Amino acid sequence: MDITQLVAHLVVILFAFTMLITSAAVLVLAERKVAAFVQQRLGPNRVGPWGVLQPFADVLKLLFKEELRPRAADSFLFWLAPVLSATAAFAAFAVVPFGAETTFFGLLDEPVRLQAGDVNVAMLVIFAITSMGIYGIVLAGWSSNSKYSLLGGLRSSAQMISYELSYGLSLAAVIMLGNSLSLTDIVNQQAGAWWGVVPKWFLFLQPLGFLVYMIAGIAETNRAPFDFPEAEQELVAGYHTEYSSFSFAMFFLAEYINMVTVSAVAVNLFLGGWHLPGVPLWLGWAVWLAKVAALLFFYIWMRWTLPRYRYDQLMHFGWKYLLPAAVVNLLATAAFVLYVG
Amino acid sequence: MDLVLFYLFAAIAVGASIGVIGQRYPMYSVLLLIGSFIGLSGLYVLLDSPFTAVTQIIVYAGAIMVLFLFVVMLLNAPREEGPVIDPRRPAVFSTGPRRAGGLLGLAFLAEMIWALWRVQSSPIDADAEVAAHVSSVREIGIQLFTQHAFAFEVTSVLILVAMVGAVVLAKRNL
Amino acid sequence: MMPTLNHFLILSAILFSIGTAGVFLRRNLITILLSIEIMLNAVNLTFVAVGRSIGSVDGQIIVFFVMCVAAAEAAVGLAIVIALFRHRESLSPDAFTSLKW
Repeated sequence: MDITQLVAHLVVILFAFTMLITSAAVLVLAERKVAAFVQQRLGPNRVGPWGVLQPFADVLKLLFKEELRPRAADSFLFWLAPVLSATAAFAAFAVVPFGAETTFFGLLDEPVRLQAGDVNVAMLVIFAITSMGIYGIVLAGWSSNSKYSLLGGLRSSAQMISYELSYGLSLAAVIMLGNSLSLTDIVNQQAGAWWGVVPKWFLFLQPLGFLVYMIAGIAETNRAPFDFPEAEQELVAGYHTEYSSFSFAMFFLAEYINMVTVSAVAVNLFLGGWHLPGVPLWLGWAVWLAKVAALLFFYIWMRWTLPRYRYDQLMHFGWKYLLPAAVVNLLATAAFVLYVG
Repeated sequence: MDLVLFYLFAAIAVGASIGVIGQRYPMYSVLLLIGSFIGLSGLYVLLDSPFTAVTQIIVYAGAIMVLFLFVVMLLNAPREEGPVIDPRRPAVFSTGPRRAGGLLGLAFLAEMIWALWRVQSSPIDADAEVAAHVSSVREIGIQLFTQHAFAFEVTSVLILVAMVGAVVLAKRNL
Repeated sequence: MMPTLNHFLILSAILFSIGTAGVFLRRNLITILLSIEIMLNAVNLTFVAVGRSIGSVDGQIIVFFVMCVAAAEAAVGLAIVIALFRHRESLSPDAFTSLKW
């Protein structure tokens, strides 16, 4: 690997990192604007034109707040929990590709991949890192030494374990179909179109898998209607009741980045990644961004439309409907791959 | 380079494991064990076994340890209690066997290291073809579902039995 | 410079001894279960290292099975811990000396 290649790779990594942080800011604004639209309000409109500077004002406010810590809290774990949450959220995105190989319009001799790290077991790495993200929430719940936080942490661990199964099984079906564990390979198999019209996305081969993935993904990111770890009406704010200032901001950041990662993986696995029939490959990143933005909008839309489930309903749904659906989907895919594919 | 990484990951694994048994708070023990698993997972990557490394994180750190954490939180497991001193018996009987056990552990370690010191150390085959064969997930899958298919099926029965057993044991009244 | 097979085997022996010592030294059922996990992992390391050195995937497959068994063991073990805690409000093995209650 020569020096230009290395520099190009570093640029890609830094770009991905900055983009993630920016996306969290954009999402905060989008969330509030969409919420306002759904509820027939105006939403933030004081800071900057149409309130576009609102996220920056929020960040500044959070930075200048006092960092509070309950006296009975376990100080080391109380500090560690938000750090773990944010780290896991960022790390999971590292293996997600966000565009085709590019030479930056002939600037480089060899094409560089638009991906922070290329691993040949990328799918499993994402799964592994997402499963580590739960520790941030559980530790926050336990170390705060408050009953609301503890309940939030307990709920979160039970919920994550239950929905991780369906999440993993829906990924397994795509792995079977794509016959690869590398995200880039799977995206590249979705290039082109059937009969020149229908894009060759795995969504059309895996409608049930996509549905299971999206539902489990919402549960994994603890978003409404599955936001039990927070559940402000019953648990005040759940696991981050006792957090303030920047540690609170880190949980906030982690939630939005997790949303981005889940959407990005969904786009890569089911919606053809950067491929869209009729659009040249060098515009792939724009296609990719548009698809991710659409899924993120769907997330926000869900949150402000649906009421929260009850906790036992969540468990009931996860184990008795979602998991069997995922298993049936896996079996059907296996049969399809064996006899047709 | 590889040797440096080996010592780094080995230090993480050993240090965290000593932490697991070296202090009295179950919460910290569980977390340190996760650290130890992450160190081991790094060692698996050094051994060209990315699949095992990732499975280690998913299954051990992501599922089994969450279960432990859940139980520690549920029972709100306190700091470990001191030894129970039975006034009718000399104190040696309550702490003696533990010390003896610790010493036996040390003796076992000394014996193993002594034995390993005597055998010729074989360097790990750095041949790229062998490494590719060992690290291939496809190869593992093929072996698992052909040669070891019976063991695989039996494992699924075992897990079913364990699941039913756990429910029966932990449920207050069925 | 590559670490040799013995590096891994000695590391595995150290981890196994730590696990053994933990089972004897600790007075908390959960920590004892954790020590058993350390021992299982020490054995896993041996399997992967030897499998790598003879150029076979069998070591990794056995590790896969060990993980399944460890999961089963943890589930049943923790269920027993919960059941015991309900009876005695204690996690110390010293509290469970009677054969019947």
